[in-house]
Amino acid sequence: MPVGIGWRHPHYGELLETRPAVGFLEVHSENFFAEGGAALEVLRQGRAHYPVSLHGVGLSLGSAAGLDEWHLDRLQRLVDHIEPVRVSDHACFARGTLGAAGGGQTVHASDLLPVSFSKPALDVMCANVQRVQDRLKRPISVENLSAYIVWNSSHMTEPEFLAALAQRTGCGLLVDVNNIYVNALNDRLAGVDGDPVQRCTDWLDALPSDAVTELHLAGHTDCGDIVIDDHGSRVSDPVWSVYRHALTRWGAVPTLIEWDTDVPALDVLLGEAAKATQVGELALAVAT
Amino acid sequence: MNPLATEQRALLDALFIQTIGAKPGNATNNIAAQAYYTGARGLKAYKNNAFSLAGRTLQAAYPVMAQLLGDEAFALLARDFWHAHPPVRGDLAQWGAELGDWVQGHAQLAAESYLGDVARVEWALHQAASAADLATQPATFALLSTTEPDQLTLQLSSGTRVITSAYPVASIVTAHLHGNPTLEAVGARLRAGEGESAVVWRQGFKPQVASCSAAEAAFVLALQSGASLLSALEQVSDFDFNPWLSSAVQSGLVLGARPLGSPLSEPS
Repeated sequence: MPVGIGWRHPHYGELLETRPAVGFLEVHSENFFAEGGAALEVLRQGRAHYPVSLHGVGLSLGSAAGLDEWHLDRLQRLVDHIEPVRVSDHACFARGTLGAAGGGQTVHASDLLPVSFSKPALDVMCANVQRVQDRLKRPISVENLSAYIVWNSSHMTEPEFLAALAQRTGCGLLVDVNNIYVNALNDRLAGVDGDPVQRCTDWLDALPSDAVTELHLAGHTDCGDIVIDDHGSRVSDPVWSVYRHALTRWGAVPTLIEWDTDVPALDVLLGEAAKATQVGELALAVAT
Repeated sequence: MNPLATEQRALLDALFIQTIGAKPGNATNNIAAQAYYTGARGLKAYKNNAFSLAGRTLQAAYPVMAQLLGDEAFALLARDFWHAHPPVRGDLAQWGAELGDWVQGHAQLAAESYLGDVARVEWALHQAASAADLATQPATFALLSTTEPDQLTLQLSSGTRVITSAYPVASIVTAHLHGNPTLEAVGARLRAGEGESAVVWRQGFKPQVASCSAAEAAFVLALQSGASLLSALEQVSDFDFNPWLSSAVQSGLVLGARPLGSPLSEPS
């Protein structure tokens, strides 16, 4: 079961020098959209030694305003250049047009803003995902969010929405286990009944078993009145527990350790990856 | 507009509404009416993330501006700029181009009138860092002795820009990035009203900036506009080409010579 790490700037040099055994490297696609420069050269060198997963944060697949051709052009150039093992982005929107008070300008919020789980939102996301896949001539994977607002217009569950997206477009599903747990904790803060871990395993059980292409693990921060998915700490015990359930259900799915804020020493990241491997091996052994 | 687009616009308005001077409360109430449970707290989380991102992103592109203004003032400036010029691309490295003009027109920074040009130099450095990779091709310099100067030109480094300023702008930037000249020296030049032209280019993967003479600035600008070597030289006076070329090749500002209208390529 390949376990990869998010490869961020503080570890560019050390990873190339020490070349630790990791299943793949994940990078944020947008950080390598440039025509040239040092960052792109670093990625080329990384690609020479590891499979690379290109994980986007800016496609805005759920945008009712549509995709940005500029973004698609650069993603296609990067995909052609790097030949990644997987290409992914999020089930969110960020791009849109401000109202009259904003002069009607089109902006990009540079965040992963939630979409409603509704038929109109599903139609938009299916069209946008299909357009990306047609352009890249390959399926992409779409990741579930941590969402800090929930739309009143939602009339289906998140797993129903994602399952329909996968069924209609043939895209893969990238399941971020931590995001599900963060949402469950925020649900509890909002007064929703039920054990958060149980709610997460129910969420996983509602997804089709053949669509999941990658799992993400990360840390989060409990601020008291809200839980934030900040990717700034170790994976929590409940998330490991939900991860075990995911592997039991879906088998040896490639797994990523993400750490994006307060990035620790590379050894810490590799330690989390080693733990994911151990947890995975044990879960898979029990499952068989 | 369909309900989905209306819903998404409501959230974007709530995040960016201060940009345009409307009452923030209206947008927040609008989103609260359409979203539930974590509505207000969730919106705050997105806003906090945006402001933090704005500060980090702008500081990465404008490290000298950040030093000049100090961390707290720069963070506030980044937040205001986020509202005044929201990102339009999903790649945040593209955000910030208007900072120079925006700072120049900022009432509270009117006394620091050099900041606009400092920002323009920093943006040129930021762009040079990600410009297309071009290698030096030494063998092409043979063209200088085999081809008439009206039929050839010089290939400048990727990302080359010239910024002419009424302030010692290159020195301000290098003083803060490299300690050369000293801050005392550059302060004296600023008070004396000295202007400078700054040339920005890339040496290998490293963006560079240096002050240059008015003649060098005019010569580089002529080359950038597509002029032949002869035409570029005819546009400047007090310019000693041979020592300049030697230094420009050594620093990576000039990568080679090429026939007019042709790309840079080593002779086969």
